[in-house]
Formats: sequence, structure tokens, C-alpha cells
Amino acid sequence: MHSRHRVSGRGSSALIAFVLLAVLPIAGEAQGPKRGGTLRVAYGNEILGMDFYTTPGYEMAWVAMNVGCGLVSITPDGKFIPEAAESWQVSPDGLLYTFKLKKNVLFHDGNTVDAAAVKFTFDFVLDPANRSNMRQFLGSVHSVEVVDPHTVQIRLKQPYAFLMHVLAVYRMGMIIISPAVTQKYSPEERRAGKPEALVGCGPFKLVEWAKGAHLVMDRFDKYFEPGLPSVDRVVIRTIKDPVTQMAAFKAGEIDFIADLSADHVDTIRAQNPRAHIMTGKETTPMVAMMKVTVPADGKPLSKDRAPHPIFNDIRVRKAVACYGIDRKEIVKIAYKGQATPWLGIIPPGTMDTVDVNHMCPYDRAKAKALLAEAGYGRQKPLTFELMTNTEKSVFNVIATVIKEQMARIGVTANIKLVDKTTWLVTSTQDGAFDMFVEDLASLLTVDQNSYLSASAAAWNHSRHTDTKIDDFYARYAREIDPAKRKVIAKEFQEYSADKLYWNTISGSPFYQVAQPWMRDYVYQAEFKVSYKRVWLDK
Amino acid sequence: MRTYLLKRLLQIIPTVLGITFVVFVMMRSIPGDPVVSLLGDAYTEENAIKARHDYGLDKPILLQYVIWLGKLVQGDWGTSILSGRPVLKDVMLRLPVTLELIVLSMAVALAIAIPAAIIGALRQNTWADYGATSVAMVGVSIPEFFLGVLLLLVFSVGMGGALPSSGWVYLPGTCQTVVCAAGLWGNTQHVLMPALALGVGRAALLTRLLRASMLEVIRSEYVTTARAKGLSERPVIFKHALKNALIPTVTVMGLQVGFLIGGAIVVETLFAMPGLGTYGIDAIIARDYQQVQGFALITAFAFVVINLIVDLTYTFLDPRIRYT
Repeated sequence: MHSRHRVSGRGSSALIAFVLLAVLPIAGEAQGPKRGGTLRVAYGNEILGMDFYTTPGYEMAWVAMNVGCGLVSITPDGKFIPEAAESWQVSPDGLLYTFKLKKNVLFHDGNTVDAAAVKFTFDFVLDPANRSNMRQFLGSVHSVEVVDPHTVQIRLKQPYAFLMHVLAVYRMGMIIISPAVTQKYSPEERRAGKPEALVGCGPFKLVEWAKGAHLVMDRFDKYFEPGLPSVDRVVIRTIKDPVTQMAAFKAGEIDFIADLSADHVDTIRAQNPRAHIMTGKETTPMVAMMKVTVPADGKPLSKDRAPHPIFNDIRVRKAVACYGIDRKEIVKIAYKGQATPWLGIIPPGTMDTVDVNHMCPYDRAKAKALLAEAGYGRQKPLTFELMTNTEKSVFNVIATVIKEQMARIGVTANIKLVDKTTWLVTSTQDGAFDMFVEDLASLLTVDQNSYLSASAAAWNHSRHTDTKIDDFYARYAREIDPAKRKVIAKEFQEYSADKLYWNTISGSPFYQVAQPWMRDYVYQAEFKVSYKRVWLDK
Repeated sequence: MRTYLLKRLLQIIPTVLGITFVVFVMMRSIPGDPVVSLLGDAYTEENAIKARHDYGLDKPILLQYVIWLGKLVQGDWGTSILSGRPVLKDVMLRLPVTLELIVLSMAVALAIAIPAAIIGALRQNTWADYGATSVAMVGVSIPEFFLGVLLLLVFSVGMGGALPSSGWVYLPGTCQTVVCAAGLWGNTQHVLMPALALGVGRAALLTRLLRASMLEVIRSEYVTTARAKGLSERPVIFKHALKNALIPTVTVMGLQVGFLIGGAIVVETLFAMPGLGTYGIDAIIARDYQQVQGFALITAFAFVVINLIVDLTYTFLDPRIRYT
């Protein structure tokens, strides 16, 4: 038998960097939370679908984490706290996690959340047929066993430092699903947001998703945390235009903007001096990604790779992306200085980040020298295509500044503006591009990023073939000792900055805005948008 | 008349089918793949192949169209690839919003255009005429989104929320959601700015057109005869001149429906309205083929039917017109 140590209520000791600057909890005043009322929320993007485990996008996840509950959750300072689990233990070798479940956790249909439901959830997610987007994070899970109705064990194949993070917060966390309901309804019914098919154990139950009109959640009276949630109803509407978002906020039509674009922060602040504007150290990277290889046989996603005609040459990558890009200038123009110029693959607010900006000082002479060494100059000018998309105006501003900076080193960057879907397909499906500007997934840990940058990852945008990157991810994920993990992270960031398969420009700031009467909302960037403690002081 | 109506109704079928076929082919010709959006970060080649198979996207385009058509005649408009929601249900949910917006925008346009055109024609080359013509020019020149933002800033922000900036309150009896805000006053408040934003541009166009027609008609012999018979100016203008002058205007109004649907996309997005315009644009951006087909079908049908109604209106405006 393994000896075990008790870690109930505690999690990773590593302090999550974003917390230090980011957490702006709207503290409740002396009179305490008031019950009742409707919380009106505005999203900037439409919810794409409602199947918790297959629908992409934060918007769905922000609903799922209020309708569903997991075994554990995470606090802004990185501590794991119980949800459906009462306590948990990890074996000293880090291979066996034992969770004791609370006895009073109910699904919205009245059924008890027990060990069988937890096992069912894991089995469901791990079954490739269900195409779950959480499956990629559970590669280390060997099996999940029911010990008794209120005890469940997760056995790992090898140590995985971030299992608790996966359970608590990767995407929306491992939300426990009801076996009976999941078996009864089809994936289409879940995706369509049929309330009967989306029975969770969270503080709110789904009442209706009328796409384009609203999503409505009502208080679950039998939620296991006494007295919570405080509001009776949450109504979410999509308001895409930031001008309309701000007008609705100013007029008091909405209480909370879940995602305000960075370029409108000053305006909303000026219009609403009492508004709570929340942000933190950036956990999302803004990148200018370069393609390194192309399919040798011309077939997209082919394993047979050939060098990209421009950016396979490390000298060109360094000339353009290292010495030729002035990150400070980009941040000054695109974000009015309200972002962090950054080079490392781990964003400035993400765990174990290291500042490696010194590795790429803006140096036009050096950039030109490297280009000359690679054979580019007046006789053979370098021209490449810079793809950007219409999702956020800031992408186009950054692309324009890069174009200007390239001109300074004698390089022509031709901007190609496409819509979001075209970008998505081109970038992820090995389409033809040289460089693109985009902000990618928000990261609590860089472990979450492997699906975008490991050599064999489906969404490896640059299509690099360097397996050393994969080794870094694997070593980082398996290392249980936080101090040793930090060392690996530093090495990884330096290596990545040196090779520039992943070219970060800056952090991409995230903002949420609440009316002064919206109390006790805790900012946790994109990772957690929870309304269970929110109350309305009006 | 009955034969004509039947012929025209039958013509709707090939017209609508033609439009939906062109849209079907075009959507599949532009870059993008709904499966990539559907799978998100669970994308693998195996998953993609399976998903394409599940949705029939691996079949030849023509066959896909035939399958879609086959389901359509059975009343099945398909299911959104991304959201899994039945297309017909979502279209019906949104149709009343866009219909109301279009009808009221046209009403706004006519309410401005008819008096402005009559004044302009009767007082040709006076300050009143110049004023009406200038307003028309300004109206034509202001894009919907710009006027919409101005209205938003004045009535929602500037006047402390005098009119709601976004969302929708349904007309009583038109709401199909479980949680529903419905009411005549609330609906009026919500539709006012979008209808103005969409209608003013149309008003400008119709004013210019109707003024020109009126100028022609009031100089025609039968109007002179009416005046010679001793009729007062009001019946001469409204009963004799305006009805005839409206014929080209009504024709343009019918054709303007297409522009209104296009404008509705912009206005509905700006005012965050749950209408067909936002439905269509979201579908195109996401390459949600089924949703795009639903949008194309309903808009094509609406366009053709409205133009049929326009043609039938001619008989009311000019009794000499007969359809056989």
C-alpha cells in the first residue's frame, strides 16, 4: 500500500502570477449578501453550442462552470478548494488520487452525485468516440475506480503535476455529468442546449438557451453550499458591438460585461467612474506566428515535411521576429501601453513565467545583418504575407505596426485580412501562410499549451518538427517538485525564444466590467466566471 | 388574375431553388470548414473525417444539395452543424423580429418620403424643395451603422437610457421562447432606433424617386383635366397624382427589401437584436452550411413574395392594369 498524505483543501503551492495584480474582488459591504434579483450579463461573442465537453469557446465554458460542478475548484491564489469532493489524498508517488465525495451534492434532477457519476464522467471524456476536448489533458489517466458510493480513485500511468488543475480549471474543469441524463439524450440535444439534457450539479440550472436572444439560468435551490447562490436568475445576452455594450452598461441595462475589448477600457472608465474594471497580468499570448515547415507532398497535414521557403531559416526568423520587431512600440500603439511586451512562450501572468525579453532586443542593424547572411538584400528583397483576421481590431493594428517595422529593415510584409473562420482553417489545417497575428489560448499553466505547439499536436500552427519541444512539455508535466519545474520552465522559455517556433509579441489583456451594485464577484481572468457568490446591492 | 397569380406562385419555386442552389455551391467554394469550428481543440484528422461523414459533408456537393432538398420537402430544414439546433425553429424564432424591423423601416421611409416628395414637387425650386432634396441627400449618404451609432449615443447614452440600446421585447403573441419579454410599449421602445437607422436611408431614396414621379404626373393632362373640372388641390394630389406617381416607387420598394435584409444584418448586430440578419451573418462567418441555407431560403422566399405583392399592388394604384 502506498503511504498517503492528506492535502484536503490545498492544492498547488505555486502562486499563480495573475492573482497578484489581477484579483479585484468586489467586496460585499457590512450588511452582507442580499438574496434575489436577476443578474444581467453581456457576452461579446455568441455561445456556439452547449455541449460541455465538445463545444469550443469560453462563452460556453462560462455557462458550464455555473451549471455544473466539479470535484474541486481553484481560488484566485491557486489553492484548490472542495466542490463535490469533501477531501482528497495523493499517494507519495503521485500516481493515485483518492477523492471523498460530499453526501449532499445533487444533480438538478434530484439524483445524487456519487462515485459512479464521477467514474462515468471520466470514462465519457476518455472515450475517443465522444470527441471531448478535455481528453487531451487526461493522457496520464490509467483508470478511475469506484471504491464506495462516496469514494473514487484516479490512477495515473505516470506522475502528472497538473491533474488538479485539469479537474479544477482547464477549460471549465472536469464537470461531473449525470450518467442517466447523458445516456438518455443525444450529443445534438446537448449541443442545442436542451435543458433536460444538461443537468449539472452547479449553483444554477439551465432554463433556456434561445440562440441569439438569451441564455437563462435559475437558482438551484438544493445547491450543496448553503445560502448560495444569491441571485435568483442570470440572463446572458450577446452584444457584439463594443459601442452597444458600453451604451447598455451606461444605461444600466446590464450588470456585467464578461469580456470587454481592451481598446474600449478608457471610454467605459470615463463614462462610468464607479464601474469596477477588472484585469490582471496577462495570461493570453499575442503572437506573430511564423510557419516553419510545409507539406512536402502538397497535402495539408502531411507528415512528410519540407522547409518553409522563408521562415525555416533560423536567421530569417531571428532577423524578423527577434531583432526586427519592436515589442514595446507595438504595445504602445496597439494597447496604449496597457499590455506587457513579451517574448517567452509562457505569458506574463501564467505560472512559472520568466522574462526572456533580453534575448531579443530591438536591433535593426543586427536584423539587417542576419538577413544579408541569409541572402536577402536589395538584390533579393524579402517579402512575406502577414495574415490577420477580423475578430479583433487590435490584430490589424499590430499587423500594421509590424508591416511598418519590417519596412525599416527592408522587408515587405503584405497584410492579408481574412475572416476568423478562414484564419482558423488556414492556421490549423496547414494552409498556406507565412505569419499571422492572433491571441491564442489563455493559460493557467503552459502545460495547457501543448495542443497548440507540440510537434505532433493537431493545432501546431508553425508546424515545427522539433521534438525537443515535446520533451520540455513532457518533463514539465511529470515533474512534481515545483522548484524543479520552474527550472524546466526557464530552460523551455529560453529554448523557445531562441528557436522562435512560437513568437510572442506581448500579453493580451483581458477585462471584465461590473456595475457598482454587483457585489462579491471574484475576478479570475478567463479561467473562472462564477456567479454563485454574486449578489445585487440595489 | 387567378391564372396570373397561380403562374407567379409557381415561379417562386424555381426562383427560390435557384437562389438556394447558388448559395449552397458558393458556401462550399469559399475557404473554411464548419468541422474545424465544431471540433475546436479536439480536432484530429480522425475526428474530422468522422464528423464530415456524420454531417454528409464528404458527399459530392450536388448530392448534398439533393439530400437537403429531399429533407426540405418533408419540412426538415436541417440542424445547425455548430449548435445542433433545428434551423426551422431558430428561423421562426427570429423571423418576427426581422419582419417587424423591415416593415417599420419601410413605414418610416414612407412617412418621411411621401410628404417630402409632395412638398418638393409642388413647390419646385423653392426653399422647401431644396430643403427636402438636401435632407434626402444627407439620408442617402449616411450609412445605417453610422446613423445607428449616433442614435444610440443620443438616446441611450446621452439621454440617460431614454431608449434601450440593445435586446428585444416581442410584440404580444409573437414570442416563442420560454422566458419571454413581450409588450407593445417595450416593443416600440426597442424597435424605434433600429427602424429609424434602417428607414432613413430608404426614405431619402424614395423621396427623390417619388418627387421626380410627382413632377411628371402633376404636369400630365389628366391632372390638368381634374383641376379644370374644379376639383380642389387635395383630391387632385392625393387621389389622382400620388396614386399614379407611386407606381415606380412601389416597384423600387419591392426591390429595396433585399437591401433592407442586408441593412438588417448591420442594424441587428449593432442593436444586438435576435433577428434573421444576425442569424445569417453568424452562419456565414462560422460556415454553418445548414444555417446559411435556412437563411437563404427564408430571405429568398420573402423577397419573391414581397415582389409579388408589389406587382399585385399595381392593380390597386392603377385600375387600368389587369393581369390575365
